[in-house]
Amino acid sequence: MSFSRPYDNRAWLGVLPVLLLVAFSGVIPLMTVVNYSVQDILDFNSRYFVGLDWYRETLGDPRFLDAFIRQLGFSATILAIEIPLGLLVARGMPRPSTNRGLTTSLLLVLLAIPLLIPWNVVGTIWQIYARSDIGLLGVFVNALGISYNYASDPLHAWITLVAMDVWHWTSLVALLAFAGLTAINPAYYQAAELDGANAWQTFRYVELPKLKGVLIIAVLLRLMDSFMIYTEPFVLTGGGPGNATTFLSQYLTTMAVGQFDLGPAAAFSVIYFLFILLFCWLFYSSVVQKADA
Amino acid sequence: MTRIAIEDLAFRYPGAPSDTLSSLQLEICSGEAHALLGASGAGKTTLLNLLSGLLRPSSGRILFDGKDVSNLAPKLRNIAQVFQFPVLYDAMNVANNLAFPLRNFGFAPSDIESRVARIADELDLRSALDRKVSGLSLFEKQLVSVGKALIRPNVDVVLLDEPLTAVEPHRKWQLRQSLKRVQVDLGVTMIYVTHDQTEALTFADRVSVLTVDGILQTATPEAIYAEPSFEAVGSFVGSPGMDFVNVAGLSRVPSNLDASQKLGLRPEWVELCVPGDGMTAGVCDDIVVLGTAFGERVGIATVTTPAGTINVRTSGDVALGTQLGIRFKRAAVYRDTALVGSHEF
Amino acid sequence: MLELRGVRLKEDAAAFDHVFNAGEICVVLGANLAGKTDLCRLVAGLPTQASLATAVLDGVDLVSQPTRVRSVALVTQAFVNYPNWTVAQNIGSPIHARTSSRTIRARRSAKTATAERVDELAQALGLSDLLARYPHELSGGEQQRVALARALAKDARVLLLDEPLVNLDYKLREALQGEFKTLLHDRGTIVVYTTSEPHEAFALGDQALLLRDGELLQADAPLEVYCRPNSLDAMDLMSQPRTNRVAIANGTAAVRPEHISLQAIDDAITYQLHVIATETNGSESFVHGSCDGADWVVRQSGITVLQTGETVPVYVRREDLLEFSA
Repeated sequence: MSFSRPYDNRAWLGVLPVLLLVAFSGVIPLMTVVNYSVQDILDFNSRYFVGLDWYRETLGDPRFLDAFIRQLGFSATILAIEIPLGLLVARGMPRPSTNRGLTTSLLLVLLAIPLLIPWNVVGTIWQIYARSDIGLLGVFVNALGISYNYASDPLHAWITLVAMDVWHWTSLVALLAFAGLTAINPAYYQAAELDGANAWQTFRYVELPKLKGVLIIAVLLRLMDSFMIYTEPFVLTGGGPGNATTFLSQYLTTMAVGQFDLGPAAAFSVIYFLFILLFCWLFYSSVVQKADA
Repeated sequence: MTRIAIEDLAFRYPGAPSDTLSSLQLEICSGEAHALLGASGAGKTTLLNLLSGLLRPSSGRILFDGKDVSNLAPKLRNIAQVFQFPVLYDAMNVANNLAFPLRNFGFAPSDIESRVARIADELDLRSALDRKVSGLSLFEKQLVSVGKALIRPNVDVVLLDEPLTAVEPHRKWQLRQSLKRVQVDLGVTMIYVTHDQTEALTFADRVSVLTVDGILQTATPEAIYAEPSFEAVGSFVGSPGMDFVNVAGLSRVPSNLDASQKLGLRPEWVELCVPGDGMTAGVCDDIVVLGTAFGERVGIATVTTPAGTINVRTSGDVALGTQLGIRFKRAAVYRDTALVGSHEF
Repeated sequence: MLELRGVRLKEDAAAFDHVFNAGEICVVLGANLAGKTDLCRLVAGLPTQASLATAVLDGVDLVSQPTRVRSVALVTQAFVNYPNWTVAQNIGSPIHARTSSRTIRARRSAKTATAERVDELAQALGLSDLLARYPHELSGGEQQRVALARALAKDARVLLLDEPLVNLDYKLREALQGEFKTLLHDRGTIVVYTTSEPHEAFALGDQALLLRDGELLQADAPLEVYCRPNSLDAMDLMSQPRTNRVAIANGTAAVRPEHISLQAIDDAITYQLHVIATETNGSESFVHGSCDGADWVVRQSGITVLQTGETVPVYVRREDLLEFSA
């Protein structure tokens, strides 16, 4: 839909500031990174064009590949936990049609709280919480007989990281799923009941199909965000013990900021960006195409 | 195949100032096609929800074949419902949608197959059985919804809540006919709720007219149209509704009518004549043209007479503002808004 | 007078011109998606895919006027009212928007004038008891009447009603149609009323404008269009149910359902109708069947019942069988 004739061309001037801002903060930096990724930068004045050398080096770097595999494992794990758990929580909440007022609102607020905490604070909370000497969780687990120490045992570090991310982000999935569930017309539930469907069948044949759109968004969001995760694991484990929990973002930061290898870091960033784009596209097109078929 | 009885039923929504339904009495025979006709706000959806079990009555009883189901959950009442829009399982194809209730109630696979085939035949859905429901038109989807509601052979009653609402206008009559045919073939008790008189009068064996004052009349469609028990029923049914004139205002009063009565008239029960000849006369205030018939303009003329306003079906040219006489052919006779008889002139 | 030129309702539709006269109700008749809503939005100045070359209202160019300045009022099918304002405030809103007074005295007198006008309109539409309520507390019919009162309060030169009754009950529609007739006629306003029901064209319209797929089929008095349709589509639009087709040598002939008789008449063409079903609504009956392979519907007054599977002769006057070339 468009106006048959714009009333006032001055409106374009109104959009100009936003365009400049986006160009300044997004487009130009992106182009700069791509530019750097094909150059060897020794210092500000000496740069040499090296073509795709950095790309070859990064993709062949064993530490890169390790970080990449760890990253994949992490994203897969948290998706496998957060999506079903979020759905479960959303289903458990009382829906506005049956219970007006306080309970629902209270629960929604409670669910939203983990999402509002600054991410480095989340990391710090869990860092202390899981400490085996003074942390509530750490001491508790050790008291149960399990010798738990996330600072020294890689498996424990992983478990703690996953637990932290689940605690932090499941609410997002739950809130999205809840919004999707409230949009389902009660007639569907009524019909399912009259058809003799039990709770599981109602979930599988009425709710899941209707939540498809919402779940796609939830998976995409969590996939992208978990693939880029930096603050929380950095604060919690610092990438350790050793490099057991060093994910892609941390490795990249070490290269770019710590070692000031701008060329390789830029190539890394571009590869990183393309991977995320690829996974999201694969996921989206496979699900959406299935729907159209 | 169940007899439904509603005894002294009353219902009030929590927090509402008055009863939505009060002292409702109704009996529906086994295998009957029954229509509940009423305007929005009359309480037809409330009554439907009481029958299905979504709501529990404030007082009174609902009986299925003598068994009190007033407080039973919907699942236990052995009913099926068709909603205003198609309510289907999007992920399944037509055959699985139809088979779903049968599977849940533990029917044998061979029985399921034959029943699905039978219902698909009845509703002309054979060719669509393998198709996914998302690819069907609204008409076809609603047809599948009806099939799903009829699929269980032992269902007591099928409730239909304005089922033609979502269907394309030029196909409504097809769905109406399919419903009627399948109702007769299977002998299922059907209760059809609507605000559209054409739907009610064409579908049902008997119609109950429901207003805020309760069920005013339960009778065959012909009786509802020609002998409405109350003035309110007469004005609700028919397009335009019934006109009421005071006997006292007529220029000629037949011997067996008295001045305290009113006559209910329908446009086809009266005709225009020369001003002196008819029962009354008046000025033509308005003419609505309906079209033509056999070369002559057909319409409804609204004539204001001393006895009341009368809509007359006319053919030929009638000019606005002319003085016209009206001859009555038949009328329904009312005293104090209730029907006392009919009169042929 | 509203003069529209070069109206193009859809990308690939032919452009048309039309003149709407003051004091007349023009009923725009068309199926779903024919372009009726686009036409209303075009005149009102709302975003739409339709376009036009020129629009002149009482000698003033309409296109250069921004939407909020145009003397056009619109009533849509979804009862649109300000949800946070009472009925009285809703009805008064266009008057309020129009008057901007600097002095306190002027403002006060404007307030009284507004209140009077609101009372007047509320009474005309039967809303006097509901002035203090909010739209969500009202029934559909009442909300639509508030929307109409609000549109009338604007006192615009052009009043557009876009299928205003389609979401209402049968009986309510009948009642409001009657009210529209008295309210809208002869006020000197240009009224454009869109619908998909031909009987509304007869009931309300001084002019009928037939649209199909964005194109203007015919524009004339309703009875003219009914008796002398210029195409099969125009004939279909003015018929409910659809016209019955008869195949002829080079083209199609059609006859309206109400022009088919079950009783023999002089000088008529006879057809054989294979009956599928009959329906009656008390005052009329519809016989559905097929004739020479085409789906037919016969409309009769009174109650007629025919047996399914019967084949009966039906009669059509020669004048009632209209022929159209392919």
